[in-house]
Amino acid sequence: MSDNQKLIVSSAPHLKSDVSVATAMRDVFIALLPVTLVSIYYFRFYAVLTIAVCMITAVLTEILFRRLMHRKPSLYDWSALVTGLFVALLFQATTPWYKAALATFIAVGVAKELAGGLGWNRFNPALFGRVALVILAPLYAYVNQWFQPLHINLGPLDTITQATPLAMLRANMPMPSIGELFVAFPAGALSEVSPLALLIGAAYLFYKGHIGWRIPVSIIGTVVVLTLIAGENPVYHLVTGGLMIGAFFMATDWVTSPFTDKGKLIYGIAIGALVVLFRVGFMITEGVAFSILIMNAFVPMIEKLTSRPQFGKVKAVAVPMADKK
Amino acid sequence: MEVKQFAGGLNVPHYKSFSEHKAIKKASLPKEIIIPLSQHLGAPNEPLVKVGDKVKAGQKIGATDKFVSAPVHASLSGTVTAIEPRIPGQTVDCIVIAVDDNQDEFELANNNLANVSKEDILNAIKEAGIVGMGGATFPTSVKLSPPPDKTIDALLINGCECEPYLTCDHRIMLEKPEELLQGTKLLMKVLGVEKAYICIEGNKDDAIEAIREKNEDPNIVLLRMPTKYPQGSEKHLVKAALDREVPSGGLPFDVGAMIQNVGTAVAVYEAVKFGKPLIERVVAITGQNIKEPQNLLVKIGTPLSYLIEECGGIVEEPAKVIIGGPMTGKAQLSLDAVVTKGTTGVVVLPPEMSFEDMDYCDCVRCGKCVEHCPVLLYPNQISILCEAGMVSEAAEWNTLDCIECGICAYVCPAKRPIVRLVQITKPLIRELAAKK
Repeated sequence: MSDNQKLIVSSAPHLKSDVSVATAMRDVFIALLPVTLVSIYYFRFYAVLTIAVCMITAVLTEILFRRLMHRKPSLYDWSALVTGLFVALLFQATTPWYKAALATFIAVGVAKELAGGLGWNRFNPALFGRVALVILAPLYAYVNQWFQPLHINLGPLDTITQATPLAMLRANMPMPSIGELFVAFPAGALSEVSPLALLIGAAYLFYKGHIGWRIPVSIIGTVVVLTLIAGENPVYHLVTGGLMIGAFFMATDWVTSPFTDKGKLIYGIAIGALVVLFRVGFMITEGVAFSILIMNAFVPMIEKLTSRPQFGKVKAVAVPMADKK
Repeated sequence: MEVKQFAGGLNVPHYKSFSEHKAIKKASLPKEIIIPLSQHLGAPNEPLVKVGDKVKAGQKIGATDKFVSAPVHASLSGTVTAIEPRIPGQTVDCIVIAVDDNQDEFELANNNLANVSKEDILNAIKEAGIVGMGGATFPTSVKLSPPPDKTIDALLINGCECEPYLTCDHRIMLEKPEELLQGTKLLMKVLGVEKAYICIEGNKDDAIEAIREKNEDPNIVLLRMPTKYPQGSEKHLVKAALDREVPSGGLPFDVGAMIQNVGTAVAVYEAVKFGKPLIERVVAITGQNIKEPQNLLVKIGTPLSYLIEECGGIVEEPAKVIIGGPMTGKAQLSLDAVVTKGTTGVVVLPPEMSFEDMDYCDCVRCGKCVEHCPVLLYPNQISILCEAGMVSEAAEWNTLDCIECGICAYVCPAKRPIVRLVQITKPLIRELAAKK
């Protein structure tokens, strides 16, 4: 045997599972492909443009912020690309590209990198970016006024070009059939075109073990129960708006959801209740996004309340034979 | 009897097929053996021989007066050529013996076990230098003498062997069921317990059957345990077999249980029956990267290089050679390391599995470690605190209760070296507690 045997040394354990952050993110990317393809089928160039703008902006933003903060680049973990795709899917195909780019910049730059990078962000980056635009809309209109004398109109920030099914439901318009809505219906954000495609992606994530049943089931269950109580048809609520992508993809985000089992149920039920409150009570859109972001803020508290007793934090039990002796 | 599931834990890949059907074979004798003076947890031994002395197989060559200790014996006859540190990365002195060409077999006594007293058994165990052979190497005679205020009512014989790859306990149970049962009876006698449970994971049904065939004592119960890592951990074995929870910071005797490894039980039998010291043990030499994986009966002090040669050598380099199982074992710097009393196996991993310490990233809060932690800790928080050097906060999250089973680091998608961080921080926590 050779004396200069090449032995590799590391600390235990010497076995590691195949799952890494990069493979998990890649799986999320794969899970989003069905709905992405359906949206491209309907919206063609518009969808491709929005998705491309968001993904490129995400990557450039991450490179920029990582360089500014003297951190190692982390593009290999796919998280920037996934965030970019998520943001794109939250917009309608006809959204101006600069709006989508701005939302992505906020998502990756502010919500993720400024918060300390992947793992430290308290809020779901994609939702944060999307909602930031909604909240910034009045400010945007205000800025527009300055530019008006120069005859430059940047256009309204939140363009609605077509009534989304959820808005149609609100306005008591004649609705497309539930089957149509479930399989594919070209209205609303890119991710809203096909609940079926989202479910296929979610099934893949479930199969891969990246998401559990607790959060989606508790969200959907709560929405069904509360809409029934409110006297509405729960099925329309399930197949419209952002509920599907919210329940299966956004609320289940590792970083921004509780890691305790009980906490997951509480978190899901609270999101479901808020969704119904926003949709039925306040009649506003973006209810799912707001609900998830609000509950993101409560995650540390939920985790603390639902923390489990540790193994061995018990009093020693009486030994049965001790009495006899 | 019904067996409980403990919370947490994980089905890690078994990788036992390489050696589980290979019968135990005597290894050939090396030219030189290197016997570390201390092979137990506790007080270090002093050498009883000098360089140049002739020693006989079974002769005591290292011992101490201290209670928590176990003597070491020459495993083969020969001449002492050196007493110096020989194990790479360790400072322990080793007695190096040039092995004689002509070896007399160790002379076996034949004691009658029927009227052997408790003191005789304990004394034989102490003299034979028996330690926990599952890898912990705590002196068995000391473990069998719990404080007088503790009552033990159940003896658990640990045949779980939950670590991947390892098969030595499996083969011992299959091939030496009678010795195991005799050893169990001796241990019951020492402890004065009426019940003993032999606990075997469900992936070793042939071993359960082999022992059942020979077992005539209704007070020795065979338990088929769930196949789940770390089933062989003492506290989890007690939880699963007896549904008793060892309190945090406590030991199994706090809930009336005593655990002994199957290899230890057989060694106890051989020590009491034949007066045979612990000079050889079964070692699984296994892994994808060894030509002929085997279970060898090896003399204590045999260098790894010799054993690996005996098994046809390493197939492909670079390799990782681990003493013990891959979840908790130590990767070796060189093949100059030797088999000691606690060496359960030598696992040789192929190049594609032989990774160095990996680059890791920040915790992504996936919760997999929380889901699988068998001590129900929060490894995610602990790793963040340990990494930041926040020692007192790490103590508050019960870092000291970590059993270092390795599951958290196994499942972590961010590849965080959680066990290493814990191992670095534990002494700091004890230091901090001592200051207060």
